[in-house]
Amino acid sequence: MRFSKILTTALLGVGLCVTQVAAEDMNIGFVYVSPIGDAGWSYAHDQGRLELEKMDGVTTSYVEAVAEGPDSERVMLNMARKGYDVIFATSFGYMDPMLKVAKQFPETIFMHCSGFKMADNMGNYFGRMYQARYLSGMVAGAMTKSNIIGYAAAFPIPEVIRGINAFTLGAQSMNPEVTVRVVWTKTWYDPATEKEAAKSLLDVGADVIAQHQDSPAPQEAAQEKGVYSIGYNSDMSQAAPKAHLTAPIWNWGPFYVETVKQVKEGTWKAASTWPGLKEGIVDLAPMSDMVPQEVQDKVMAKKEAIKGGEKVFVGPLKDQEGAEKVAAGAAMSDEELLGMTWFIQGVIGTTE
Amino acid sequence: MPLLRVVKRQEPLGWGSCLVLIAAICLSLLLGGIILFIGGTSPIEGLVVLFKGAFGNRYALEDAIIKATPIFLCSLGVALAFKLQVWNIGAEGQFALGAVGATWVALSLPEAPSYIVLPLMVVMAAAAGGLWGFIPAFLRQKLKTNEIIVTLMMNYIAILILDYLVYGIWKDPASYGFPMTAEFSEAAIVGKIGATNYSWGLVHCLVLGLIFWVFLKYSRLGYEIKASGDNVRAAKYAGIPYDRLVMLVMVLSGALAAWAGFLEASSTINRLQPSIMAGYGYTAIVVAWLARLNPFYIGVASFLLAALRVGVEGLQLDLQVPAAFGGIIEGLILLTVLAGGLFTSYRIVVARKAHEH
Amino acid sequence: MNIEILIPLLAAAVQSGTPILYATLGEIFTERSGILNLGVEGTMIIGALSGFLVAKATGNPYIAFVAAGLAGTCAASIHGLVCLVFQGNQVVSGLALTILGVGVANYLGTPYVGLTAPGFDPLPIPLLSELPIVGAIFFSQDLLVYLTYIIPVLIWIFLYNTRFGLSLRAAGEYPAAATAAGLKVVGYRWLGVLGGGFFMGLGGAYLSLAYTHLWTNNLTAGRGWIAVALVIFAFWRPGRAVFGAYLFGGIMALQLRLQASGTQIPSSLLLMLPYALTVAVLVLSSWWRGKTDEPGALGTNILPAD
Repeated sequence: MRFSKILTTALLGVGLCVTQVAAEDMNIGFVYVSPIGDAGWSYAHDQGRLELEKMDGVTTSYVEAVAEGPDSERVMLNMARKGYDVIFATSFGYMDPMLKVAKQFPETIFMHCSGFKMADNMGNYFGRMYQARYLSGMVAGAMTKSNIIGYAAAFPIPEVIRGINAFTLGAQSMNPEVTVRVVWTKTWYDPATEKEAAKSLLDVGADVIAQHQDSPAPQEAAQEKGVYSIGYNSDMSQAAPKAHLTAPIWNWGPFYVETVKQVKEGTWKAASTWPGLKEGIVDLAPMSDMVPQEVQDKVMAKKEAIKGGEKVFVGPLKDQEGAEKVAAGAAMSDEELLGMTWFIQGVIGTTE
Repeated sequence: MPLLRVVKRQEPLGWGSCLVLIAAICLSLLLGGIILFIGGTSPIEGLVVLFKGAFGNRYALEDAIIKATPIFLCSLGVALAFKLQVWNIGAEGQFALGAVGATWVALSLPEAPSYIVLPLMVVMAAAAGGLWGFIPAFLRQKLKTNEIIVTLMMNYIAILILDYLVYGIWKDPASYGFPMTAEFSEAAIVGKIGATNYSWGLVHCLVLGLIFWVFLKYSRLGYEIKASGDNVRAAKYAGIPYDRLVMLVMVLSGALAAWAGFLEASSTINRLQPSIMAGYGYTAIVVAWLARLNPFYIGVASFLLAALRVGVEGLQLDLQVPAAFGGIIEGLILLTVLAGGLFTSYRIVVARKAHEH
Repeated sequence: MNIEILIPLLAAAVQSGTPILYATLGEIFTERSGILNLGVEGTMIIGALSGFLVAKATGNPYIAFVAAGLAGTCAASIHGLVCLVFQGNQVVSGLALTILGVGVANYLGTPYVGLTAPGFDPLPIPLLSELPIVGAIFFSQDLLVYLTYIIPVLIWIFLYNTRFGLSLRAAGEYPAAATAAGLKVVGYRWLGVLGGGFFMGLGGAYLSLAYTHLWTNNLTAGRGWIAVALVIFAFWRPGRAVFGAYLFGGIMALQLRLQASGTQIPSSLLLMLPYALTVAVLVLSSWWRGKTDEPGALGTNILPAD
């Protein structure tokens, strides 16, 4: 008995030494706005973090459910004090706190997701989810018979609005008669309310349901009504196999691995990066067999075109009242996209 | 036939109650340790990290004190109403409207100097929060409407008003469409004390806490509140204008929570955004009760609760314990401390024989 | 508004009111015994997770539903322990139970987020569901909704027409007199706490087994608090609780449908409707007829004799 105790202690000692060695690894910290158990936004980033764990000489850690504002500043400050080399923060509201902390710790590298401010040691990044949204919109537009598509959405922020617009453009490209009806739930994960939102869309005649929330509840509503649905975040086909057509999905791993590689090699420079389909950060989940081959081919062709540099938001684009916002042939700049707060023609709903 | 009997203590337990408190916290930490163990984390290491993160260094203490500020003010507010036996659980909404009121002044007077804009912000915040306290008080006294439900519902409404403003007319054009107001002007920000990280808000807290104590202990109004809280009928009989007292107290209660909202917007975030709502108004209720409505203990309890929350972040960062563990340990501590209260006011004696009445 | 929109709206009102109704009934049961349990939210979410996990493990939603109720009872027993044995303050204990319950459910539930489990699907009652209007609204729901047509009646019969119920109410109304009359007041309060917890657990399970068939952290999303409010709204009467829960659920469903129909009213303002109308109805009804059945000794502990 005693011997085994000594052995355990010795092993523990070795274990501690190992951790000590590991402490000389590169330390990467992540700050998430929601629990990673939300199966959505934070979960997708955390999958990317796990890719980093597989790299040699890299240890990662995270703090989840951190409120924007003072709490996030404290968390980032503590990471920097503890000697983290790179800190990723994945919510818009972390931008100003991160900038404050970045100024105090010039040796630490800061990466902010979904914002626009920068410093010498702070870059920002985002994914062109709207490209995948456009493709999923094409599928929805081809499959609707009532020409009404329902879209259960979380909060009227630019990321969501941009997604709805891209989705609508995709749908209109397959079927110019389509209208997209939007219901805001003001929740990221309240499955019951989100399902109810989807049902309310079904009641006004929608026969394809798309969503921008983290729970697959709207998918369920579509399946129960016997109509189609488009998922989000990850392949949601398990939740509603008879309804789920496809889903625009996140894949942050390659971007995080690339960034950390650059830091290791000393080639990292503060920049604004906005990767998309081409870099594999966003993608379209495999399309269901219910989608006709001809539609699938068109979608895949468009995917290749976008990968090759074709733009999604190209004029003429009109707003809901029919006023021209983007002239024919002109493409919207990244800055305009980042701050998009208006719906294009064909979307029914308000952005407030 | 009971074997154990509880008997009321004739005199307070004194230092013994500290022992009870420590025993209760140890018990909850033990339970928390077991949960950590089940989750695959070393419980000893976990508790050490938790403690270090909460009290281990200057930064930790600083962080906890800063985080305790809004909880303290909200808690003072609800404690005032509770003294009168008015169940104001609307601190959350009063806090929100306080932030809205202060922001309105800050946004309307971007050029005004500090000595004009800051007092106006306080006044506007207190007025907005006070109104949010007055409505349920008025309904309670005039129409006998239950204040718990009205204050609870008004919390949701207040937060939605805040949402409406920051998603709509107050949205900063430079924020790329994100729901937040423009940053306040330098003059509208409650700054930091010298080179420290503490904001002048901390001084506001100390002063307000002191006024609260003096007011309740020495003023006539304070006496009336205490008397009415103890026995409404007797107080009315003694000629205390009870209806007006309830409304006044609810206005003051709302104003205190609103003050916290003002500080949070002005001093910590420097603008208004939806994430200003962090549930301080609900935490405040727990704190006020634990502290038995005493302003000094409210200070201690808000600090400890804030320290615990700060410590849990360290636990997450260093050992990858899920954020939900914070709720578990907080709930356990509150429940055990509460249960331990029995031993401070009662003695447990072994009954030799059953007592018949 | 035409009938094709109105009927689905009212059916949705019944469904979205149901989880709140279960929890409200549970809280009425508890409060009638004199114990205020603000831990409804925590108890519900424990029930929701337990129901989901049991359904996933056994594949049998009936067992899962009962298990959720029992889990709710277990959660509520913590409140009973603190308040009835240790004389702790009921307000703090309830709030702490909510914090603890949500923490435990999210801690244990994280690996199951987004997964689905077998549950209850709509089960139209033959004949009744074919009735015009009423059939579509009330009798094309799932089994758990039908249960709530019976439970309030049973609770009402229990509280007002049985000796047990009378004693339970006495424990909440005049504990001193009840004790003097030889009733074991603490025992009845335990009954109130544990029985109420059972219904709160069922309310949680409705969310994870019938309304949706999946688990997410924070699944209850504040519905427990609405239940606490609706108890007061209902004047502590089971019948009015049904009305309150459907009214609240109905307005929630209505605001989503207004959005779907393309209204230009900002969603923040629409979301205020359920809360504002609850206050308005309460104000009107307390103005019109102020008498409630609030238990006289609600929230006060039974102190041991000196």
